[in-house]
Amino acid sequence: MQPIIETRNLVKKFKDVTAVDSVSFKVYRNEIYGLLGPNGAGKTTTINILITLLKPTSGEAYIDGIDVVKKPAEVRKRIGVVFQDPSLDMFLTAYENMYIHGRIYGLSGRELEKRIYELLDFVDLKQYANKVVRYFSGGMRRRLEIARALIHEPEILFLDEPTIGLDPQTRNRVWEYITRIKREKGVTILMTTHYMDEAEMLCDRIAIMDHGKIIAEGTADYLKSLVGSDVVIVRFQGQKSTCLEPGDGILSCKEIMGGVELIVKDATKILPRIFEEYELRGASIAEISYRRPSLNEVFLHLTGRELRDSLEDTPKPIRRWR
Amino acid sequence: MNSYFNAFYTMVYRQVRRFIRARSRVVVSIVQPVLWIILFGMGMGGVFNFSNPMIDQFIKQQFGGLDYVTFLATGVISMSIFIGSFISGVSVIFDKQFGFLKETLVAPSPRAFVLLGRAVGDSIVILLNSMIIMALSFLIAKGLKIEGIPIAIAYGFLLSVGFSSLGIAIATKMNSMEGFQMLMNLVIMPLQFLSGIFFPLQRMPEWMQLIAKANPLTYAVDGIRYWLTGVSEFNPIIDMILLLILSLIFILIAIITFERATIED
Repeated sequence: MQPIIETRNLVKKFKDVTAVDSVSFKVYRNEIYGLLGPNGAGKTTTINILITLLKPTSGEAYIDGIDVVKKPAEVRKRIGVVFQDPSLDMFLTAYENMYIHGRIYGLSGRELEKRIYELLDFVDLKQYANKVVRYFSGGMRRRLEIARALIHEPEILFLDEPTIGLDPQTRNRVWEYITRIKREKGVTILMTTHYMDEAEMLCDRIAIMDHGKIIAEGTADYLKSLVGSDVVIVRFQGQKSTCLEPGDGILSCKEIMGGVELIVKDATKILPRIFEEYELRGASIAEISYRRPSLNEVFLHLTGRELRDSLEDTPKPIRRWR
Repeated sequence: MNSYFNAFYTMVYRQVRRFIRARSRVVVSIVQPVLWIILFGMGMGGVFNFSNPMIDQFIKQQFGGLDYVTFLATGVISMSIFIGSFISGVSVIFDKQFGFLKETLVAPSPRAFVLLGRAVGDSIVILLNSMIIMALSFLIAKGLKIEGIPIAIAYGFLLSVGFSSLGIAIATKMNSMEGFQMLMNLVIMPLQFLSGIFFPLQRMPEWMQLIAKANPLTYAVDGIRYWLTGVSEFNPIIDMILLLILSLIFILIAIITFERATIED
């Protein structure tokens, strides 16, 4: 199968900073592919190269088999972009913003009008069509930007941090639109995010980026299996909790409030043994649960840092487009 | 061909729409030139008025036979077009800050036409403004010819597209609104005085005349003055040709700058 997006050893240097360091990946048709990583990992720079706004220092990138450096105009016809920073014209109405975008992409007349209302309806903004965007909330603006990016029916949609700065409810709605775009319109989506739950919820495949490199790639389940362990939490009735000795599938054990937390190789195999052990000790189990590791634990496993920590530690990169 | 026209038309539409929404801009850009004509024109006009037909006649000759208010009014019409056009490039910096410029840069339409659309859209708005200013100056200044307006507007259009393009080119390379405005003020001030708006070229020191003759604004001022009053320092056809050439050069500079724009600028 031919990939619809492909990069080969992509490198981008800004003066002495290497923002993107030999990045190679492939995205296939009708897939949602996520670049996950902390700020400054090189996600946005990678996208900017793919959407022809930046020239790579070296390496190649192809959209639908077309070289983004050699034929930017051809690439631009096939893509829709929702930028990380807002890019609406605040002084125009929702309809006018859509209209201008449509006209620039060569649509006009009845067809354009029909499509504008269809898409405004898709993101539930139809009743605000003639309101000036300045008075829109953050969530409404985002939705309008997503609708606008779809107006010329692109094959590929780029979403750069689509839910940054939105409240949980609005995030859920945006997620819903993204899955509907893939399902109903058959669009391939490349998105970046630093939210693990978002990547897990939406993406078919995820590439974890750190310091300009892809450090792991695959489905969320595959990435989790890299950690090679599950978390089992056992809570007891009444008496003091006691730990089990590590070994034989149990990697570690520590006491927590009202119970113990065990890190185990494979929870499904080890659960019966845990029951047995505690029965032998005469402890009565009130509750036992286990979970797969989160992507945060995957990131920790791969880099030795928490994704959350690095969010706070890494200063925001300088915006180049002020 | 169609995509060229689309990009062009869309940007014209957008620039005009935006301006109409910003009512304060409309008012200020009309009131300021009118204040120039009234306050500076009448104030300075008083200096040149000696209530002595002989002396007054002699002074009028310095202004091609026009009284000072009329002389200045025709210049201020050009000045309002010039300043309005040059600083209209600030919208590019706005669009950088609000992200809209990226939106036009990833569009498949040719950038040259996006740029021309911007410049022409701004020019249309500025010329509509200047027509209002003209109408008002007819009330203040005597001896203006109504029939000359359409041709005067044509000179104004060339001036406007040229300087709008140059403004856009400069703004493409800049990131701060304040910086752009300060630079514009720095450039606008001398160009105003080196153009025949306030005083005729022929009475300037030689070196000033030399610079003024390289200034496109000079030919717009002269051409517009000719069609509104019948008085000019150069042949109005030469004015038109030189204005055309200089404006085309500005447009070319702007196209090259805009074509190369990436988000690293």
